[in-house]
Amino acid sequence: MPDHSGNSQPSSVSRKPSNSAFKQQRLPAWQPILTAGTVLPTFFIIGVAFIPIGIGLLHFSNNVKEFVYDYTDCKSVENSNLSCAAILEMNITKNCSCVLPVNLTETFDGDVYIYYGLSNFYQNHRRYVKSRDDHQLLGTLGPVSNECDPFARYPDPNDPSIIKQVVPCGAIANSIFNDTLTLMREDGQLVPVLNTGIAWPSDKQMKFRNPPNSNNNLSEVYKGYVKPQNWRKNIWELDLTNPENNGLQNEDLIVWMRTAALPTFRKLYRRLNLTAEGYSSGLKAGNYILNVTYNYPVKSFAGSKRIIISTTSLLGSKNPFLGIGYIVVGCIVLLLGIVFLIIHIKYGKSNSEMTNVTPRSPYQ
Amino acid sequence: MRVTEEEDDRTSGATEAAECVELRAIRVQVTGQRFCSNRVSTAKYNALSFLPCFLFEQFRRYSNCFFLFIALLQQIPDVSPTGRYTTLVPLLFILAVSATKEIVEDVKRHKADQETNKRQVEVLRDGQWLWLTWQQINVGDVVRVRAGAFFPADLLLISSSEPHSLCYIETANLDGETNLKIRQALPTTAKLLSVTALRDLQGTLHCELPNRHLYEFTGTLRLANHEPLALGPDQLLQRGARLQNTKWATGIVLYTGHETKLLQNSSAAAPLKRSTVDQAANMQILLLFFLLVLLSLLASSCNEIWASNFGFQHWYLGLEDLPTSNFGYNLLTYIILFNNLIPISLQVTIEMVRFIQATFINNDLEMYHAETDTPACARTSNLNEELGQVKYVFSDKTGTLTQNVMEFQQCSVGGTIYSAKSDVVVNSSGMASSMVQDLTAKHSNAPYIREFLTLLAVCHTVIPEKDETNPEILHYHAASPDERALIQGAARLGWVLSSRTPETLTITAEGMEHRYQLLHILEFTSDRKRMSVIVRTPSGKIKLFCKGADTVIYERLGSAAPTGPQQHQQYIRQVTTNHLEAFAREGLRTLCCAVAEIPHDIYEEWKHTYHRASVSMQNREEKLADAANLIENNLVLLGATAIEDKLQDQVPETIGALLEADIRMWMLTGDKQETAINIGHACRLLNSNMELLVMNEESLDGTREVIGRWLSTRSEGSSPLSTTMASSAALVVDGQTLKYAMSCDLKKDFLQLCLQCRAVICCRVTPSQKAEIVEAVTIETQAVTLAIGDGANDVAMIQKAHVGVGISGMEGLQAACASDYSIAQFRFLRRLLLVHGASNYYRMCRLILYSFYKNITLYVIELWFAHHSAWSGQILFERWTIGLYNVLFTAAPPLALGLFDRRCTAEVSYRYPQLYKPSQSAQHFNVKVFWFWMTKALIHSALLFGLPLMAFGEDIVWSNGKDGGYLILGNAVYTYVVVTVCLKAALETSSWTWLSLLAIGGSVLTWFLFLAFYSHFWPSLPLAANMAGMSHMLLSSPVFWWLLILAPVTALLSDFSIKTLWNTMFKSFTDQVCEREINLQRSESGKLLDSQRRDSRTKLVETARLMRSVRNVFRRPNASSDGARGQTELELSHGYAFSQEEHGAVRQGDMVRAYDTTLPSRSMDKL
Repeated sequence: MPDHSGNSQPSSVSRKPSNSAFKQQRLPAWQPILTAGTVLPTFFIIGVAFIPIGIGLLHFSNNVKEFVYDYTDCKSVENSNLSCAAILEMNITKNCSCVLPVNLTETFDGDVYIYYGLSNFYQNHRRYVKSRDDHQLLGTLGPVSNECDPFARYPDPNDPSIIKQVVPCGAIANSIFNDTLTLMREDGQLVPVLNTGIAWPSDKQMKFRNPPNSNNNLSEVYKGYVKPQNWRKNIWELDLTNPENNGLQNEDLIVWMRTAALPTFRKLYRRLNLTAEGYSSGLKAGNYILNVTYNYPVKSFAGSKRIIISTTSLLGSKNPFLGIGYIVVGCIVLLLGIVFLIIHIKYGKSNSEMTNVTPRSPYQ
Repeated sequence: MRVTEEEDDRTSGATEAAECVELRAIRVQVTGQRFCSNRVSTAKYNALSFLPCFLFEQFRRYSNCFFLFIALLQQIPDVSPTGRYTTLVPLLFILAVSATKEIVEDVKRHKADQETNKRQVEVLRDGQWLWLTWQQINVGDVVRVRAGAFFPADLLLISSSEPHSLCYIETANLDGETNLKIRQALPTTAKLLSVTALRDLQGTLHCELPNRHLYEFTGTLRLANHEPLALGPDQLLQRGARLQNTKWATGIVLYTGHETKLLQNSSAAAPLKRSTVDQAANMQILLLFFLLVLLSLLASSCNEIWASNFGFQHWYLGLEDLPTSNFGYNLLTYIILFNNLIPISLQVTIEMVRFIQATFINNDLEMYHAETDTPACARTSNLNEELGQVKYVFSDKTGTLTQNVMEFQQCSVGGTIYSAKSDVVVNSSGMASSMVQDLTAKHSNAPYIREFLTLLAVCHTVIPEKDETNPEILHYHAASPDERALIQGAARLGWVLSSRTPETLTITAEGMEHRYQLLHILEFTSDRKRMSVIVRTPSGKIKLFCKGADTVIYERLGSAAPTGPQQHQQYIRQVTTNHLEAFAREGLRTLCCAVAEIPHDIYEEWKHTYHRASVSMQNREEKLADAANLIENNLVLLGATAIEDKLQDQVPETIGALLEADIRMWMLTGDKQETAINIGHACRLLNSNMELLVMNEESLDGTREVIGRWLSTRSEGSSPLSTTMASSAALVVDGQTLKYAMSCDLKKDFLQLCLQCRAVICCRVTPSQKAEIVEAVTIETQAVTLAIGDGANDVAMIQKAHVGVGISGMEGLQAACASDYSIAQFRFLRRLLLVHGASNYYRMCRLILYSFYKNITLYVIELWFAHHSAWSGQILFERWTIGLYNVLFTAAPPLALGLFDRRCTAEVSYRYPQLYKPSQSAQHFNVKVFWFWMTKALIHSALLFGLPLMAFGEDIVWSNGKDGGYLILGNAVYTYVVVTVCLKAALETSSWTWLSLLAIGGSVLTWFLFLAFYSHFWPSLPLAANMAGMSHMLLSSPVFWWLLILAPVTALLSDFSIKTLWNTMFKSFTDQVCEREINLQRSESGKLLDSQRRDSRTKLVETARLMRSVRNVFRRPNASSDGARGQTELELSHGYAFSQEEHGAVRQGDMVRAYDTTLPSRSMDKL
């Protein structure tokens, strides 16, 4: 240490600190004290508010009509001794279909949505989630991202000596759900459904685009590429009726590419065409038939497949949890409120006495 | 240039071992010699060394190394679940913030160094005096220092303005001693006064290598055409000392810069101090690191099991084709995933908070000393919270507790108390009497008063000097501050010492000049406890005037009285004793005054005895004392003087408050025992209920015996640590005894004894002993120690203590420079500890706990999610949102907690010292508290993941029937986490300012804004494709909004309830005080509190009465008789104290005889 001895150069500027509220730590402050007495109103208000909210939310959830059918082990139409799953296990390329009875006991009012549901399917696996090329999906025809490995390049099926890039690459696209579900009335008439408007508009606008200038000629554009290994159709054959829904812009693909959070999930497959005659108010109660083209193997990983026909409420699909949660928490808060009321009555008075402390009171 | 301790030890060791071999040869006034520059530097970095040093310093911290490691891991392809730069960028940001702080602090140090280095001094160059800066001085230069200035380097005194080239130096900065020291040049050089004479000074100087021994110096000066001259400490002017009472002095530069004695003593690089909280936090970080490794091992093992059992069944994953799916890679993935269990921002948040806390300290108006224009200054901010945990305070005395100003307050003459200040005093009978009045009114006391004042004007070694501009004004130069006070007091009362020649003293009194012929000066020594002069009065009588401790004076009183009957003398003695006690009660330093008339024949006889003694070759000191003893007899008591050793403002109140806050106070001083005890009483460190243990031993065995006796008596009745015992004893120990007591085998027992005493006073201790004591206590008790001092002699102690506080603003700033905090007055220590310390500690604990909490809350969710994602290491959140968690969305709440939260206002903390105890005993941050918070964090994370998991079900949470995807759940959970931890911060905030509100509300708002912006990056920016459209999706879901209410409420319900329950049923003292204050504020009757403010004007401690409780005084063995013990007791109870230079370079008698103040002194103009 040096000796900074002696008075420093006399300066005309005083070193007196400025008297600002911030520097002097004298900002106006509010000091709430949480005691049984002061929090009682809060507890009762929360309790009283939460329970009706919970009941309301539960009511919403209960109004949702939902039909769920697990068709994993459905019997094959072609070979009624075997389930489609078993046939698929023998030969993955074999066509197999099921016919499932759908019995709607009540009318499904308003918008009706058809979902497929998978379970024990880890769409949230780290390897799986990242196995995509967002630039490619946006229509950029460049070198494929390494993230897609090992679903990035394959030899051309026609000429195995040529290695071609995959469009769309990656594990997600490769494993797209490819069962076909068709809902029919008992009389064999198809229930009119739409395959558009099932993906988020933002996804469709910002994330999935066919290469520019492709117009209707997708097959030309993707000539130099191969389809993912597990696909039965080419990329340009996804929706031949609607060019806006074809190729990378196909909404089934877009929905699939939005990976689910949990291993049990459902994905929107079709929605009821309310403009069609006879369906303006929804799906009437009665018996329907569901035709399933069974292509998707889930038995190997002990998964299951479901079909879900559902209406929605303001809160989406049927899920009573939120309502129950509100009611339970509301009850707990009320209970605590009562406990605190008792405590307040017992201890509240002695508080005022206890606060009679002076600088001389001993520390407890 | 910095001399490390080892180097220094080596050099000093070498000097001792082979003195004759290693010498420094200096050629006088020859430039170009290769020695250390006089430029000193205390800065940590320079432009070149900054980067390497800074990085080294930063990466010594576990956490920074860890994050660097993570950042490197992330560069391995295919391992990181969060991308490559999500750790590197925050780390760089954090390093940048730290670097900025370091640069700002170091620039300050550079400036301070600059100020010292640029100070100017006159240097002889090419035959003329040039004003040069200190840093331009070289070894061998001749410099001239003027009165009041500090010596720029260690100098060899050549000549001075005073006769015989004497000069006074003030060494308070170096050793804390109050008296001035006298230095005298060699007769050969003393006549070198003119520029030409000095210019022609040529020769070689040999001296020791630089060492740290302040008072040791030997060397030889070989001047051209001269015999070699021996040099000693008498010619040494140390850097850090200042020239006093001397117009100027010239000297040759011996040691410069870091080689000076002063800097050698403090050259050990300031130790890097870390606060206890910091260390605890570091431990928790280590703990969390192990937890992290454990979690990673667990998760990657699970992944391994899952992958090997089920992995290949999940054909869609394509696991079989991936090269990087082994256990090691997965472990790394998880380590990266969980790395933020250790909050990356903690270090930088702490740094920022400390920096601002330090500015709060710097800007505190309550700690601003207007007289010296000095605000408090936090020189390091690393110890802010340590101030809240102080258990032991070690204080210097001079300059810290006292002002080092003596004032002649009162006197007792002939049995009457007079004021020496205002000339009117209320005497014991309540009647006002004035000395001057009594004198003129021919009161019966008049002869006594006359004699008394004559004594004051004659019996001393003070040198009067006429002011150059106004001859009416006299300056008194004295080595003893007591004498100076007395002579000034006498002058005020009309007895003015106007001039002095080697043989005579001239006194102007009652309008007449009296000339006293100075015959002998019988010097003051600590053993004699008195000094006398023998003079021939103008009327031709030979008189001996004596002043000293009452015990020695009373012993020598004669039976006869010069005037009045013998009875009157008896009366005076008795009354004076009472007065002495009264003075001591007020903490005043007393001296007794007595006179004797010596018959000529006896004097003549004695003169020869004395002369023989003074020329004897052996035991001269002893023989002189014996001779003096012969003549100092048959005295007549005149009265007593009472001098106030002025305390700094509000010292007793401050010490009282510190003691009340359960802080143990030790006083370590280089000053004498009497003075130390005196001040101990004056500042209420000692009080009436205390047993006083005085240890003055001269051998190891004696010390051992005393310590043993004491420890056994202490532990007899009650347990040794009982509080009553602890509060009832005070230990006084001197430096000599301390040396034995601190030896290896006694150290433990001695410290045990010390720790049992409420107060400990160590007197006559050296700087290194001070440091040794502080260190020993620090190690022994593991408690936080604070050392406070003002001089260079306190530097070692300040550096050794956990917290060093320096007193700044007066003169020397050495201590302030070495300190961690500097304040202008001792009384500010109360505010520094009780207000700033306690609140900083509280805040810092909250900040650290909260930082751990918020990170664990978020990142443990990854563990819960891993269970649902096949242990694959997928993150639930988007990678940059997770990366910005610590630096953006939850950065402000901890800052708000660390800066603005408080439980009580500053006034309350100041007024209720008891409120210091919770922080002192680490109640806010210990293992229990830590795990309590961690448990809460785990519960919160489970709830915040579990509730959305259930509520979002299978992701259909819109009326449009669309499904969400993992990031919908992720961002919802993230939102709930941000909201919950912000609300948690709100719940933990006791005191709301608009800034806290802004920090907490702003954080939540920032997240929502970020979400809105970030969702629109893609595809314009090649970033965050998976976030495209997220804001619209998330915010349009009613489930999200309903859960936004439910999830935080559910998570915080337990916290809220526990806190309420605690506040209601287990209210702490702090809570009660705060609550009461708030209630009072609300009812606007804050005045009530003020009325209860203690009357700070309470009377000083009743020293004398309590001093009777001195029951155990251990004397040196050779004087351990009951009589001697009684004597010490009496002295203590009568407040005797006197400072004077002893065994100095020049004998006091010789010194005063060197002056003839009737002649004009050497003026600089002549040269």
